[in-house]
Amino acid sequence: MSRNIQRIIQEANAHTMQQLTRRHFFQECVTGMGAMALGSVLGGCNWLGSKDTGSLIHSNPLMAHAPHFAGKAKSVIYIHMAGAPSQLELFDYKPDLMKLDGLDCPQSLLEGKKFAFIRGVPKMMGPQASFQQRGQSGAWISDHLPHLSTVADEISFLKAVQTDQFNHGPAQLLMHTGSARLGRPSIGSWVTYGLGSENNNLPGFVVLTSGGKNPDAGKSIWGNGFLPSVYQGVQCRTEGDPVLFLKDPAGMDRDLRKASIDAINEANKLTYEEYQDPETVSRIAQYEMAYRMQIEVPETMNINNEPAYIHEMYGTKPGVACFANNVLLARKLVEKGVRFVQLFDWGWDSHGTDENLAIDYGFVNKCRATDKPVTALLLDLKQRGLLDETLVVWGGEFGRTPMQENRDGKKMPFKGRDHHTEAFTIWMAGGGIKKGFSYGETDEIGYSAISGKVTPFDIQATILNQLGFDHEKLVYPFQGRPFRLTDVHGRVINEILA
Amino acid sequence: MLFITEVIAHFHPVLVHLPIGILLLAILFHWLSSKEKFAGLSIAIPISYLAGAITAILSCITGYILSGSGEYDETTLNLHQWMGILVAFISSAGYLFCRNKNEQQLKWVSIVLAGLITITGHLGGTLTHGEGYLWKGISESKKDSINAVKVIANAQEAIVYKDIIQPILQQKCYNCHAATKQKGGLRVDSEEWIMKGGKNGKVLVAGSIDSSVVYKRIILDPIEEKHMPPKGKPQLKEQERLLLQWWIASGADFTKKSKELSQTAAVKTALSALEKSEVLETKRADIPDGEVAKANETILESLRKNSVTVFEISEKSNWLSANFVNCIKWNADIEKQMDLLKDQLIWLKIPGAQLQESSWKTIAGLTNLKRLSAEHSNITDQDLVQLNSLKQLQYLNLVDTKITLKGLLQWKSNNLASLFINKSGIGLQEFNTLKINFPKANIDTGGYYVPFMATDTQQLHPRTDKK
Repeated sequence: MSRNIQRIIQEANAHTMQQLTRRHFFQECVTGMGAMALGSVLGGCNWLGSKDTGSLIHSNPLMAHAPHFAGKAKSVIYIHMAGAPSQLELFDYKPDLMKLDGLDCPQSLLEGKKFAFIRGVPKMMGPQASFQQRGQSGAWISDHLPHLSTVADEISFLKAVQTDQFNHGPAQLLMHTGSARLGRPSIGSWVTYGLGSENNNLPGFVVLTSGGKNPDAGKSIWGNGFLPSVYQGVQCRTEGDPVLFLKDPAGMDRDLRKASIDAINEANKLTYEEYQDPETVSRIAQYEMAYRMQIEVPETMNINNEPAYIHEMYGTKPGVACFANNVLLARKLVEKGVRFVQLFDWGWDSHGTDENLAIDYGFVNKCRATDKPVTALLLDLKQRGLLDETLVVWGGEFGRTPMQENRDGKKMPFKGRDHHTEAFTIWMAGGGIKKGFSYGETDEIGYSAISGKVTPFDIQATILNQLGFDHEKLVYPFQGRPFRLTDVHGRVINEILA
Repeated sequence: MLFITEVIAHFHPVLVHLPIGILLLAILFHWLSSKEKFAGLSIAIPISYLAGAITAILSCITGYILSGSGEYDETTLNLHQWMGILVAFISSAGYLFCRNKNEQQLKWVSIVLAGLITITGHLGGTLTHGEGYLWKGISESKKDSINAVKVIANAQEAIVYKDIIQPILQQKCYNCHAATKQKGGLRVDSEEWIMKGGKNGKVLVAGSIDSSVVYKRIILDPIEEKHMPPKGKPQLKEQERLLLQWWIASGADFTKKSKELSQTAAVKTALSALEKSEVLETKRADIPDGEVAKANETILESLRKNSVTVFEISEKSNWLSANFVNCIKWNADIEKQMDLLKDQLIWLKIPGAQLQESSWKTIAGLTNLKRLSAEHSNITDQDLVQLNSLKQLQYLNLVDTKITLKGLLQWKSNNLASLFINKSGIGLQEFNTLKINFPKANIDTGGYYVPFMATDTQQLHPRTDKK
């Protein structure tokens, strides 16, 4: 044992010695002098408008900050239906499409277009749901969502969203990171980077998944990209312990735990002073966070203590991993001051390849499993006085075609629709968004947007705007230039702001 | 051939700077050379005048070709043209006087030329940047107040063109298509001009959206080059686009009132929206007017050490927001610190707080408070009576507290806009009594529920579904 420790110390010493060679000294002198000179030149300017990162070690990177302007929303619950739900069976009512049901798709709709699976000439497919106008606002919502229909007057629908990615992974990346390629920070990371967290005992950005699979784009859609890793989304498990290894190991009490974390952090601080790597600060912050989370997380993530009427309202099933439980958790987290809660529910990719992915079976079941919790979320936030400060976003990564899918030119076993980029519906509620409003229109068959077009960038710009950020000014310097979530795009959708 | 002249014409804005610079330098040399110290400069004067004269002539030629494009205001253009020609002429004369050593005449030439160049240059600027470009930055704020869309008292009685359409055109189109500039030969600042159209023909066909270029260019994809207003300029709002479409489709009449034209539901909403002032809506009721002195940073730091989240509501503001979600019990220190923040603190969250009477007294002293979230806290009717001093309060959250009707009735406020009392000691039947005390408040009694439906838990399957 002691021999082992001696060896470790020897290795560490050798490591330090290696860095202090004569060559190293000269090397450091030259670049160091240059850097010093440059530093003194640039020191006075607010370089690239970024936040002061000089004294990272002394501040908690997740401490709450003031936004650019006073935002209406304090937190966001983003419900992403991974796989892309069909707008034609939920919100975009197209009676004219019914008249074309079963007819060949006209060439004009196919020429020069690319589809993920449709080949040759597919048949048109009318809406596979009956629709009614709901509430005072008269929004069209199908019978698949009987509960949501009762709260239509709380919601703003974006009926003409467009994207340019027709595969799940890139489209989800675009929706959440502003780029179809890997490597950019996700919107939740940008928000926690900009605003910090109001509760130091919980992560600022929490991710919960359901539906049996993670979204196709993987964990990158809640990744921190080039932002310090302290801002990445913390994925909590929905079964068993929400965060693993939070409990103290057998034989170790909380004081000992605290003492050991303090010792490790002291060592890390020395490392930071030597190398100035912001990732070291992240590590320190995460150790401290983990210690504080030990008490707060099990309490907040436990839905068993909720009263019976809440369980009835959400349709939750304690102990079983399901979407309803995640929605209730999202409400609990936001109530505790968590900044951004991201819910992913997998299974909306209704191609018609099997029963679970059929527009007339699996899709309907997905609607039934999610309708009640989503509606309960809006009403529960409202009665707790939280809806005006919580922005709720619901949507997929793209839409679905008005044509029936004919994978490889063959007839499918079930009814389904292919991926569609040119028009789909996303809705927002609360957080300073207009109540009972629809923005944007699609053509008679829901193929393309004809007015009020919005892009994923516009949605991101709007979310940031509601939190108090000018999306063009929330930047982070990386690889020699300031980066932002919306890159060179994005327009705040003023039309839907209250 | 046409193409080449057009290209040459586009060199005018570049070329004009040469005679301006060279001739002003020649004048400077001329004036300086009378001093003994700069006498050597006199040798450069003739060549400067010559170069200035030649570039001035070239500028005149390119300018003349450019004027043919017809995009400019005619009176200003005429003046600019003749003064430009005069500059070319006088500078040539200046060269001749130099060569012939006519000192007296050269003096006059230098004075006149300096004035002419200044005026011609300014006129050129007016042509490209529009009337009054020079003072634009200074008078911007004034201009905005003029440009802001006026609130219409009764949109149905309003004259569609004069009260609704013209203000839109004025805001979004006049910059390039009115008296000072006529890009594409188009003016839209009067009935005659609108109906006349631009250099490529008519832009508006009454009653037909599809053949009205003016509308088609507006709804073109913003990334298209021909989209109007051009990229970077203020765009038409959705509501403005709709009203323009409605006006053209219903015959583009210049005298009729709104109620005389048929209206769809969407148009009706857009019209009634005109009756509301947008300026009033953007102002937030839960942020006080004006500003306040910055809070003492050491107080904020010590609060933060007690796990209180406290920060400015925005980068540009000193108003404070505080969240006590991790600090449910207050000690004497916290009370003292909060007392020192009473000027700045406007939003306070104390969810689940277990406070002593003295702490509620401290909160009662935070008289600038606009939002108070005291849900799940131990607030009692007695504490609430103390909070009567919070006259500015807009938002009050008493969800899941022991507050009863008795406590709330001792509290009157004309400012309160939202009151949440779900799961408190107040019954649903007592709601109407409350409404009298808080006439402006939106009182949320909660108790919402989502009914159980058989379909919530049933699953559809092809086998069971088949009959």
